[in-house]
Amino acid sequence: MKNMKKFLALAMAACMTVGMAACGGNNTADTTGGNTTGTNTNANTDTADESKDAQEQETGGATEITLWTFPVGDWGGAYVDEVIAAFNESYPDVSVNVEYLDYTSGDDQLTAAIEAGTAPDILLAEPQRLVKFGKNGRMVALDDMFTDELKTDVGNESIITACSDGTNYWMYPLSITAHFMAINYEAWESSGALEYVNQEGDRTWTTEDFQNALAKLKEAGLTSGVVYCGGQGGDQGTRALVSNLYSADFTNAEHTEWTINSEKGVQGLTLLKDLCDQGLLSYDAGIQASDELQLFSNGTVQMSFCWNAANAKTYASSVTFTPYALPFPSDDGVPVLESGLYGFGIFDNGDAAKQQAARDFITFVCDDAEWGPKSVEATGFFPVRGSFEVYADSDDPNMEFYNAMLAYVGDNFTAMDGFTEQRAEWWTMLQYVFTGEKSVQDAADTYVSNSNAYTASYSE
Amino acid sequence: METQVKKTTAYDVVALIVLIVLAFLFIFPLYWIVTGSFKDAIAINSATPEWFPSEPTMDNFVRLFDKPALRWLANTVIMAVAAMVLTCITAAMAGYVLAKKRFFGQKILFSLFVCAMALPKQVILIPLLKEMSFLGLHDSLWAVILPTVGWPFGVFLMKQFSEGIPTELLEAVRIDGAGEIKTFTQIVLPIIKPGIGALAIFTFINSWNDYFLQLIMLNSQEVLTISLGIAKLQTEMSNDFGLIMAGAALGSVPIIVIFLMFQKYFTQGITMGAVKG
Amino acid sequence: MAKSAAPARSHVLARRETFVSYMFLLPCLVFFVGFVIVPMFMCLFTSFFDYTMTDFEFIGLQNYIEIFQDETFLIALRNTVLIVVVSVPTVCIFSLWVASAIYRRKGAVTSFFRCVFYLPVVTGTVAVTVVWKWMFNQYYGLFNYVLSSTNVIDQNISWLGDKRFAIWCIIMILFTTSIGQPIVLYVSALGNVDNSLVEAAEVDGATSFQCFWKIKWPNIMPTTLYILVITTINSFQCFALIQLLTSGGPMNSTNTIMYYIYDTAFKTNQYGYANAMGIILAIIIAVFSALQFKVTGSSKKD
Repeated sequence: MKNMKKFLALAMAACMTVGMAACGGNNTADTTGGNTTGTNTNANTDTADESKDAQEQETGGATEITLWTFPVGDWGGAYVDEVIAAFNESYPDVSVNVEYLDYTSGDDQLTAAIEAGTAPDILLAEPQRLVKFGKNGRMVALDDMFTDELKTDVGNESIITACSDGTNYWMYPLSITAHFMAINYEAWESSGALEYVNQEGDRTWTTEDFQNALAKLKEAGLTSGVVYCGGQGGDQGTRALVSNLYSADFTNAEHTEWTINSEKGVQGLTLLKDLCDQGLLSYDAGIQASDELQLFSNGTVQMSFCWNAANAKTYASSVTFTPYALPFPSDDGVPVLESGLYGFGIFDNGDAAKQQAARDFITFVCDDAEWGPKSVEATGFFPVRGSFEVYADSDDPNMEFYNAMLAYVGDNFTAMDGFTEQRAEWWTMLQYVFTGEKSVQDAADTYVSNSNAYTASYSE
Repeated sequence: METQVKKTTAYDVVALIVLIVLAFLFIFPLYWIVTGSFKDAIAINSATPEWFPSEPTMDNFVRLFDKPALRWLANTVIMAVAAMVLTCITAAMAGYVLAKKRFFGQKILFSLFVCAMALPKQVILIPLLKEMSFLGLHDSLWAVILPTVGWPFGVFLMKQFSEGIPTELLEAVRIDGAGEIKTFTQIVLPIIKPGIGALAIFTFINSWNDYFLQLIMLNSQEVLTISLGIAKLQTEMSNDFGLIMAGAALGSVPIIVIFLMFQKYFTQGITMGAVKG
Repeated sequence: MAKSAAPARSHVLARRETFVSYMFLLPCLVFFVGFVIVPMFMCLFTSFFDYTMTDFEFIGLQNYIEIFQDETFLIALRNTVLIVVVSVPTVCIFSLWVASAIYRRKGAVTSFFRCVFYLPVVTGTVAVTVVWKWMFNQYYGLFNYVLSSTNVIDQNISWLGDKRFAIWCIIMILFTTSIGQPIVLYVSALGNVDNSLVEAAEVDGATSFQCFWKIKWPNIMPTTLYILVITTINSFQCFALIQLLTSGGPMNSTNTIMYYIYDTAFKTNQYGYANAMGIILAIIIAVFSALQFKVTGSSKKD
């Protein structure tokens, strides 16, 4: 008779399943409302949690929130535990669970979780993700957190606008960095390539310097650098490399179109292709930025196109040479760098208590007099708030340079419609260019028209 | 065991040599995983590979166990065993009646099972996701177990096995007045036991290896499986092959040991399922 | 009276049997309907919608029309077919050869080889994939080292980053993980072939090739059919390899429908479109399976 009980249980499960087919359509259709779907999934999530992990129940009555974070510089493990412990001193009723995402599968995980109603409460990421989810109606607007005090303290209009889609604020900013490149100082010195590097001031250099240096490296029999295009990881580096060579604009000023198929953009791509064809540079369609960094750090290649303050810190212990940071070379010697802006967003899971707890947590992590600066330091980047003083006691001579690079940060288009989809097109385009499978112009045109189609589909 | 007199021909010798070379190539990846997991970063990243770790280090494993690697392993075992048990129960019952009973809708049902067998899970990924969301099971091991049990291969296999149950025996038992449940548990089950063994092994390996379903259904550290764990190691630190190999070794060595211990049953089981077909 | 009672009674019996059968089928059907049939219908239903993270709007056959104008889909389709068409016959032929070479050897030898070829299956897809990724690495992978130190190549090859090699690397790894089971099956199928038939034929002067073709081959036909089916399923489902090794690149040269569906759903969030591709893939697989049953079925009759 035990079997009968099992039958019964399974039959009930079946009824539930069949029942859902009927209302499945409604469920998914109602996305912007968020209320019905929200409460619904939430109730379900709770039951799942209960059966999944009984020990989590011990905090009866407490609010439990989940934080997912992308690897932002050094932000991770030890520091996160510390800041949560500190947060709990002031907010003992809130328990925070943390999950770490990576850049390769993190987006897929987020999509799955969002569609399955198990999205986290808080996400630490860039505007490209947070603002997009916000626009898609999955996040809580944080307009009330953008006080005049914050705006004045940040004092940088472009940072504030990057956090919003023009209507609401979806992201609360924590830290910012510029993305630049780095060279293996000793290898460049010994090969004579260093003479083309400007070691004064902001270290800006030109496309011509870059080409001359590559020639020196080749003479010395060294693999100079590798343009990675095996995936979208670290594509801010290749984007900046291409657009700077001849000062091309990546998008139009209104953020409605992608423009790298312009004359200057194609010139930049063509130069890179020529350099590869001449063996002065190489490309690899099998690797992404993380692999390139590894190659750089173990001395296989002599430059990295994916460098920033946090990477310098991460690789400091494993390199046997001096990584020397440089801006990207450009024809006029004035680089336009991409920035990485990082901050928190709150998912709309339909539970007011959790949302409040999430707000408290974000405020604590970003704005607390003691922990705010520490959080910024944990990312390895620079504070968005002008009043924060970090790295005051840092003995890293490069800090000043990293900070100076922020002045070269250009227009932030990462929150532009279709940015995510564009990324998937970008590395495929690079592959077409380097292999000569398509002409540079053709490849760039295809990339632009596909990306524009995605962007346009948002405003339909 | 063969009556025929064995003549060793030239072909036999050549074949044996080719087989040995191939065997070496097939063992090699495993060898590379195990030795790689004991190599330090220098040996791993050197362009000249070290055929055997000259300075074996436990460092990779130490770093691996900084992560909840044993938890991953435990989750995988729980998941695979649960899928295995549920599949065996449901498939044995269904296979038996499909083979031995005549009832309304039998043909259609069986063809439906066969058709669905070839269906890749990727096809239904979004609906499955939505369904798990509705059931509140996403990000729990159930989200992986339930679709695995639903896959009709087991039914197909058990039907093939149950064809071998002598109809006269079932008749005799029925005349003796045994109920359906008793007939099933006391007569049918013992006969198809080897088949269940085969299915159990099959389901276990399949669900252990079903990376795709795990990938879309599981997020939290506490429910990650070893496959996901290794994949995560590889996306997080793509070139730290020492650490990745340590993960791969942890994920594969236990199941290989089990396999070698029970290899007789493994191969018997696999064959029985198919040859009957 | 007796005459009319009998059919009535058997009618009752039949109904009873149907009821009992469905009780036995119930647990299985719950899972099957719940996690295969229902999702399949949802998939079909939503494939007629412009279904994304924000929209859910009926667009009729628009998704299907777009699919056949989608360059990437056509490339993915070609790659999928390539993988299936190359790997299925090679797996079958190779495993048959290995099986026939080992099945008459001493017990320990047979079981040694059987184990060895089965190893990649039990090692686990992801573990196998990551070690191959390392061996294929352009800078410190084993392949480039072996080939360059034997002077076969003079420059390191980016195996997974080169359009000419990437898909063949995938097919090769797929091959190593696919042949274990067919070998086990063939060894036992060949062992089951009635030896007296073979001996009789040999006495009649048949060559060993004739023996194989006329006697053994028809006998192992059911096994072959089964192997064809499972290998086809396996080849269609190859996903981890592509996701972990190439992400479908370079230039979509390793993109398969399976991976493209995943990519469309998770990277660009076009769920309706992904579902429509899923339906098309399901149809293709159904056709493939039917073909195999037909081809192998008819040659069996000959």
